[in-house]
This record gives sequence, structure tokens and C-alpha cells, in this order.
Amino acid sequence: MLSSFFFLAAAEDGADAGKAIALALGIGLGSLGAGIGIGNIFGSMIQAVARQPELRGELTGIQWLGFALTEAVVFYGLIGGLLAYVLV
Amino acid sequence: MKRLAFGLLVLALVAPGFAFAQEPAKPTPAAEEEEFDPSHEWDLKTWGPELKIGPIDMSLNKAVAYLILGMLVSIAIGILFMRVKVGRDPDRKQALGETIYDVAQVQVAEQGLPTKAIGRWFPYVATLMIFIWVVNILGFIPLPLSDERFEIGGVELPTLAIFAATSTLSVTLALALMTFFFTHIEGIRWNGPAKYFKSWIPDVPKAMLPLIIPLEILGQFMRLISLSVRLYANMLAGHMLILTFIGLIFVIGNVFLAVIAVPAATIFYLFEVVIVVSIQAYIFAALSAIYIGSAIEPDH
Repeated sequence: MLSSFFFLAAAEDGADAGKAIALALGIGLGSLGAGIGIGNIFGSMIQAVARQPELRGELTGIQWLGFALTEAVVFYGLIGGLLAYVLV
Repeated sequence: MKRLAFGLLVLALVAPGFAFAQEPAKPTPAAEEEEFDPSHEWDLKTWGPELKIGPIDMSLNKAVAYLILGMLVSIAIGILFMRVKVGRDPDRKQALGETIYDVAQVQVAEQGLPTKAIGRWFPYVATLMIFIWVVNILGFIPLPLSDERFEIGGVELPTLAIFAATSTLSVTLALALMTFFFTHIEGIRWNGPAKYFKSWIPDVPKAMLPLIIPLEILGQFMRLISLSVRLYANMLAGHMLILTFIGLIFVIGNVFLAVIAVPAATIFYLFEVVIVVSIQAYIFAALSAIYIGSAIEPDH
């Protein structure tokens, strides 16, 4: 499925170069959103712990849950991009 | 004993570097001609005879070998750490076992499962957590299970390589399917089919219903996709990043690139081993618990 995935090998002819750029742009924009989300999660966690340090134990679980759910968004972008890259 | 364990840990962390440095440096003559491509690691070749039962392919390959190894290691973890004689002052083995149990109980099972179902479903989510963690961590230890071969003194040996069984979609989809079926079976068993399926639909005005019902049904299947693709893509991207950074040296063909590529690959390796491996195992088990729990008690 991924046999033609490698960015240097892709840049050889025009159509593949366009696809490579689209893939990179898609993943880049995806990571932009996930970056904002992850920053939000950890920022809120710091604030919460600063206000109520005794809740740290309970909050850590929720924090990692939120982190993983948000981080996965990049990989949905990656898989979608790769699928489009290979199939189109 | 302590020193031995520490030495083994250091070796386990240092060895990947050597494996990376040496693996592509001595390729077989046939492999020398073809272009380096990290995704070739995911072309699974069949080992030994093909065992096909109807349409189901039961033959061995790299991913299956990793799964069997992961199964054996997680059984060993269970026997070693959970079946210790409980003493008044716990030794280290018991303490480690209790830590694993505590994480599975407090962080995973009690997050999602209601009290009445925890006895039945704790074994499932705890097994998921330990098994996925073991398979993930095995994926970052270089093991001689790859498809490529090299010769030392006339003996053909497989090269050391990193590969996680969870970086193939079939494995994670099978795990997610188990959770998917258990969720609905449990939901129907506790609530009865009519009440359970009605609980999918939130309280909205009647005019919105034709729009909401397909979305909610689709949402149930999106859970399946998100659960499997999250684990799959995390492990795939982690391996791909490490292999790409190391492979850059051989694609561009400049040894001095190693000054940048090897530290970058090491940083990603450590990030994956320290954070991603444990988080993904935890998240898969916790989400399974939450899904099953929310099916048993739909009002929550």
C-alpha cells in the first residue's frame, strides 16, 4: 500500500511532486490544529494544578486521555493523506 | 542482580543505535541495487508453508511472529508479577506487580466501567493494556525477526530490525473489533435491545431526528475506525520517522549527515519509547473501558 511513499523518490516527475506537496501540506495543517489543541490541554492542566494541587492525581489521567485523543488527529490526516497519495 | 538489570537496560537502549548504524551498511547484494524505502519494512513476506483455510490466511509472517512473541511475554509478565506470594513487606517484584495492577484498576477500569460490571470486564481491559504495551515496546527493541538476511561465517541470519505488530492495521482492527462487539453485546445484555438502541439518540427536537440518527449510527462505526487507526498510525508514524531519518544518510549518500540524522532519530526513538508506547496502550484500554461502560449505563 505504501510502496511508493518516500519524499525524495516522489519528486522525480511533476504529478508525483504535486501529490507530495499536497500530502505535506495536509499533514502540516493537521499538525497545526493538533499543536494548538495539545498546547491548550497542557496549559489548562498547569492552571488546574496551580489552583488545586491536590487534584493532580485525578487530572493526570484525563490529561493523557485528552492528549492522545488530540494527537491522533494528526495521524488521521497522515493516513488520509497517504491513502489519497497512493490511490489517486 | 540490580547491576545486571541496569546493564541490560542500557544495552537495550544503546543496541538500537548500533543496529541502525549497521543494518543498512551491510545489505545483501540484491538489496544493494534497489532504492532504500522505509515502507518496505511493511511488506510482509510469508515464512514457511502457506496455511490457507478457505479465504483465511493463517500463514506465518513477521507480524504474526511479533504477536506470538508479545503473547508469550505478556503471559510471562502475568505469571511473574501477578502470581507472587504476598508477604507482609512487599519485595520489588510484588511492588511492581501491584503498580501494574493499580494502574489497570484505578486509571483504566474505574475510569469507564460502572461498579456492577467491573468484575466482569476488568480482566479484559487489563489484558488489553498489558498486551498492547508489550507488543508496542517489542516494536522498539531490535530483534532478529526481519525478512532480510545477512551472512556471518556461512550462516544466514536475519538482520536486527525494529517492527511493531501494532503498526499493521489488521492487528489493531482486530483488537478494536473485539471492543466494538463487546460494547454492543453488553449494552443489549444489560438494557435490552430497545432501550439500548434508543439510548444512542440524544434528546433533540423531533425535526432534527432524521439528521441526528444517521450521524449517531455513523458515530458508532467511527469509534471503531478511530480506535484502530489511532494505535496503528501512531506506531506506523513512529517507526517511519526513525527509519526515514536514518535512511536519509543512505538516500543522500553522505556520511556526515549522520551528525544530524542519528541524534534526531534517537530523540524520536526515546520519545516513542518513553511516552507514546505507554500512552497508546493506556488510551486503548481506557477507551475500551469507557465504551463498554457507557453501553452498560447509557445515562452516564
